[in-house]
Amino acid sequence: MAIDRRLLLNLDWVLLGATLALTAIGVAMVYSATFSGAHSGLYLKQASVAGVAALGMLGVLSVDYRRLADRAMVFYLAAAGLLVHVLLFGPRIAGTRRWFMLFGLQVQPSELAKVAAALFAAKVFAEMRKDHLGLRDVLQPGLALLALMALIAAEPDLGTAFCLVPLFLSIALLAGLRLRAVASLLIAGVVLFGLGWKYALRDYQKTRIYTFLDPSLDPRGAGYQKIQSQIAVGSGGFTGKGWKQGTQSQLGYLPARHTDFIFSVLAEETGFLGVLFVLALYLLVLWRALEAAQLARDRLGAFLAAGLTAVLAFQVVYNVAMVAGLVPVKGLPLPLLSYGGASLLSTWLSIGLVLNVRMRRFAN
Amino acid sequence: VRIYEDLRLVQTRLTVLQNALVLVMVVLAGVFWHLQVVRGRSFKALAENNRSRVVPIAAPRGPLLDRRGRILVENRPSFNIVVRPEHVEDLDDLVRRLGALLRIGEGQLRERLADRTSPFRPVVIRQDAPLEEVAALEARRLEFPDVSVDVVPLRSYPLAAAAAHSLGRVGEIQKAQLELEAFAAQKPGDLVGQAGVELQYNRSLMGKDGSRRLVVNSRGREVIELAREQPRDGPSLTLTLDQELQVVAERAFGGRAGSAVALDPGTGEILAMTSIPAYDPNAFATGIDAALWQQLSRAPDTPLMNRVIQGQYAPGSVFKIVVAAAALEERVVTPHSSFYCPGHLAIYDTVFRCNRPDGHGMVSLHQALAQSCNVYFYQLGARLEIDRIARWAKRLGLGAPAGIDLPHELPGLVPSSAWKVSTHRAPWYAGETISVAIGQGQVTVTPLQLARLTALIANGGRLVRPHIVKAIGRAQRPDDPLDAPRLRPETIAAIRGGMCAVVNQRGTGWRAQLQSVEVCGKTGSSQVVASRVRQPTAHETLPHAWFVAFAPREQPQIAVAVLVEHAGSGGVAAAPVAREILAHFFQRPVAAPEPAVAD
Repeated sequence: MAIDRRLLLNLDWVLLGATLALTAIGVAMVYSATFSGAHSGLYLKQASVAGVAALGMLGVLSVDYRRLADRAMVFYLAAAGLLVHVLLFGPRIAGTRRWFMLFGLQVQPSELAKVAAALFAAKVFAEMRKDHLGLRDVLQPGLALLALMALIAAEPDLGTAFCLVPLFLSIALLAGLRLRAVASLLIAGVVLFGLGWKYALRDYQKTRIYTFLDPSLDPRGAGYQKIQSQIAVGSGGFTGKGWKQGTQSQLGYLPARHTDFIFSVLAEETGFLGVLFVLALYLLVLWRALEAAQLARDRLGAFLAAGLTAVLAFQVVYNVAMVAGLVPVKGLPLPLLSYGGASLLSTWLSIGLVLNVRMRRFAN
Repeated sequence: VRIYEDLRLVQTRLTVLQNALVLVMVVLAGVFWHLQVVRGRSFKALAENNRSRVVPIAAPRGPLLDRRGRILVENRPSFNIVVRPEHVEDLDDLVRRLGALLRIGEGQLRERLADRTSPFRPVVIRQDAPLEEVAALEARRLEFPDVSVDVVPLRSYPLAAAAAHSLGRVGEIQKAQLELEAFAAQKPGDLVGQAGVELQYNRSLMGKDGSRRLVVNSRGREVIELAREQPRDGPSLTLTLDQELQVVAERAFGGRAGSAVALDPGTGEILAMTSIPAYDPNAFATGIDAALWQQLSRAPDTPLMNRVIQGQYAPGSVFKIVVAAAALEERVVTPHSSFYCPGHLAIYDTVFRCNRPDGHGMVSLHQALAQSCNVYFYQLGARLEIDRIARWAKRLGLGAPAGIDLPHELPGLVPSSAWKVSTHRAPWYAGETISVAIGQGQVTVTPLQLARLTALIANGGRLVRPHIVKAIGRAQRPDDPLDAPRLRPETIAAIRGGMCAVVNQRGTGWRAQLQSVEVCGKTGSSQVVASRVRQPTAHETLPHAWFVAFAPREQPQIAVAVLVEHAGSGGVAAAPVAREILAHFFQRPVAAPEPAVAD
């Protein structure tokens, strides 16, 4: 462990504190959402995963991010290998293959792949010695990320797969990709989406989008989640119904209330004040993470911190917007709050990398 | 390795991203402000609506009792098997398992589940389920979380068909009824009275449903009860019917079509009311069985019709009571006036025959009633003319509903010259009066109207209001205001004498004689107008047999009217039915009397 005192002085205690606070709030909300049900011990599991995640963060902090980035290709290949493995050998659950068991532990490779992808993209872009990049320059890393995306999307897990898009765009943008090129990428994305709608989306995925546009089409199906989530959020009012007192969550009207819709529980039970507080914490985390990118001593560090922040920001914004009924329901966890070990672990590792970048801004 | 990297572009673009992030978060906070603070109140109402549910507690329908408190209609508990489809996750699986358990075809089950107006409305898949099915389901409660057994009170009619028309039946409320004021409190699916007393007194029988306000979870299961409003049970209805007399009257027909009604001549209380053919109202207790309904409503012998108040027949010779009363009141004749009957009367260029071809000789009113001499009444008809007959017929309660407390009573018809002009645009012919004078032609009556006429002769000339409900709960029906006598005592005495002779002095109604009770009656036969639709069978051309009677002669306690369809002469076919009713009423032996004269 090569963490000397000078490094500790440069550790961003604010970012670490906010991360811890959000994790603690998450454990409390998971408790509220599950204490009365058959899985009342989930909050303990979440808390112990948080402990493991903290150790993992410590591990990440102990190694210079540049040395980690030197092995980016290894991480990339390892992630791709695990993704192929889960597609081939993972148990099929509710039509998806997302994790496999290793030494009695659930391993969800798509979450780790996000971190690996960030290291890989940051490394590749950092080595491009150009002030301005065109589309041709970003083709190679773009295709590499697309390959990971395709593997994750095949599980299928479209939400997590899509997280690689903000990762790629943010790093490419910082690396000097011309705004014109960004625009054409966006257009290409829209065209791809159209083609994907026609040929690649499963029926249940299309139904979700249709019912998002008109929830009354299927009040008990996909639209039901949106309606019930909005009712939970709205009925929380200004001060909320109180911890463990939300009727929507406690009586089971909220679907996936301890995972993807944990923010609904928070909004119902702690009201607008609680929402404001948690959103402020998220803003603090993301702001400080981008500040780490600002302060980074090199392009690699800036890209790495910014790319990881972009993934987190996308997940936070999408999940919160979904809970408010603004965007279609997707199985995308809320970082730090949602129940789920893999997501919690990968988020702590990501923040560990960000801390790492800031901590070593003066180091040689 | 370069020692220095130019990070200016990176930092500029990062600043843009940072600001964009703040903007997005502010927008999100604004959205939550809108949802939670601006629209918070309406979402609170939705959440409240989600979690609390008002479940009705059905008020049991009031039972019907006979005049001595014996049960005519009661409620029995039944079990409905109900599916709450909004929570079912795998409908195919449920249909398969439930179909196997209840032995319902999967197609039929699927059809039932698909046929619903709202996804939140429970679907009844089995009404009045047998106990073994209920037990089988209860034992597998955990395997069928979305299936439940509701206890529903069902109407039960122990007399079955014997009092179907007066008691009526219940059935699911119809669309058209939902708009009626009488059913204002009802909702689709409710069981309401659809005929007879059940319909007429539906509102008081239903009582008032209570309700429970519950907190339910997302699967619709009760968590706690917040409030309860107890139902108000429907009060029992005490009817004027006598259960035993009702059964006797029904049996007396031996399956022949017809109707009988017995009432208390002093008060108008209906003691028995029979209409045959009938149906078993128990078959409707769970709602309308479409096939059964089709069969009953299309049957040519109209089993759904209550012949006592809806059958309109020519009164035949029973109408001679009316003509006699009119003639005496108008002083056209006295009780002692006589006419000569040669067996026919030639008048208005037509020969009208008497019922005895060789004639009755000199007949007074007394004999004319006893022997039902047509010629005597032809003479009275010719002297009275149609409009005086019509006026007296109406004064004696014909041509208008008797006002019984049962739905859909029909008025019959009393023709007059004004009626002929307005409906047929033709003048009245004097010859038609001759037919009407013996109760044929255009005049029609219901059995109830003739029973009321008989009661009037029995009670000294007063029209009573026939009714079938004696008390609602503990509230007795108020007495009707006493009607002023419509006939002079001499008129009544003369007609009573004649009617007594009909039964007891070798008259046409001798078969109604009763040991030691003096029965007074009048026979009649109602000629059947040939159907224009199809060729009638030999049976269908037979006249309907009438017999009306009251007894005893002094202080009468009962008046009856009996009609047996297509049965021939009233004395032969209807009088024995009346006799059985009277014999039971006076607790006399049922054995038939010795013949007094040849028919």
